[in-house]
Amino acid sequence: MQGTYDRGTSESFKDEGGLDPGEAARLLERTGREARRGLDFRSPGLSLLAAVGVLVGFGAVWLSVRGQHPYKGPTPAGLVVLYAFVLIRIGSVVYAHRRAQAGISGRSVQRRQAEGAALAVALVAVYVVMAALASDGAGDGVVYGVYVVTATMLVLGTFGAARSAVREDWHELGVSLAVVIVAAGSAFAGPRGVWLSNGVGLCVVLLGYSAAQAWLLRAPRSDA
Amino acid sequence: MTADTLDPLIHVPARLQIVATLAALPNGDALSFTRLQDMIGLTPGNLITHLRKLEDADYLTSEKTGSGPASRTSVALTHRGRAALDEYSKTLRALLDGL
Repeated sequence: MQGTYDRGTSESFKDEGGLDPGEAARLLERTGREARRGLDFRSPGLSLLAAVGVLVGFGAVWLSVRGQHPYKGPTPAGLVVLYAFVLIRIGSVVYAHRRAQAGISGRSVQRRQAEGAALAVALVAVYVVMAALASDGAGDGVVYGVYVVTATMLVLGTFGAARSAVREDWHELGVSLAVVIVAAGSAFAGPRGVWLSNGVGLCVVLLGYSAAQAWLLRAPRSDA
Repeated sequence: MTADTLDPLIHVPARLQIVATLAALPNGDALSFTRLQDMIGLTPGNLITHLRKLEDADYLTSEKTGSGPASRTSVALTHRGRAALDEYSKTLRALLDGL
């Protein structure tokens, strides 16, 4: 045996007795379901928090720009609320992820690190292009309105869609594609409306996702 | 077909839980002994005994890293273990369909 367990602490078997097939099927289904839940950081509460946060964050920026003529871009107060939401979102995801992934090692950990690096580079590129547009003389409405929101959400949405397609996670693929559609459609709302349109649209998508997650968590319990 | 056709190594509550829990991990990932114990709720000694049986059958591998109090043992399902669980599930379904 290639084991490394401490053989001195072993106990005798307590449950060598078999199971009837029905019990075994129920135990197998329940154990697998609980394990998948325990190892997955996503939850209805986390999605609900994101839905509220995206509405408040984008809503605050929209309130700060809706009366600007000409458009100058989000005010510091609006950005503080938006960045507070971003920080809360990152903090809550990191906390939930660390809790769910505690004790796991192997290939998926390295894959997630590579994915995180790719996403970070893509997001930095969005802001590099924003700086290039500003230096080329593009209007504030395009640079600090339509472009920055739409490009950021398109990067996040397409990244999520590609990641979930590889993992065959069809629910998350649907949510990611909905984010892409909301972001692309919101680009028609103009530099002021793009914030409100994204805030409301993403809030609706995330509320739907939260409800679907809650339903999926509850559904199997009825036949357990 | 009878329950005797089910893999006796897996057809035990504790080992069925161990294998089903490890099968929830992506291929190539391992779970620490303490997290597995938390998830299944077995005593350390009982868990070790069942893990050893599964490892003897090449259904899982274990790896110990570090030394002393900082040491950590991780366990992972092998391809053979995953295939055995798939076969067990198929046999179980066939048995239940025949009831």
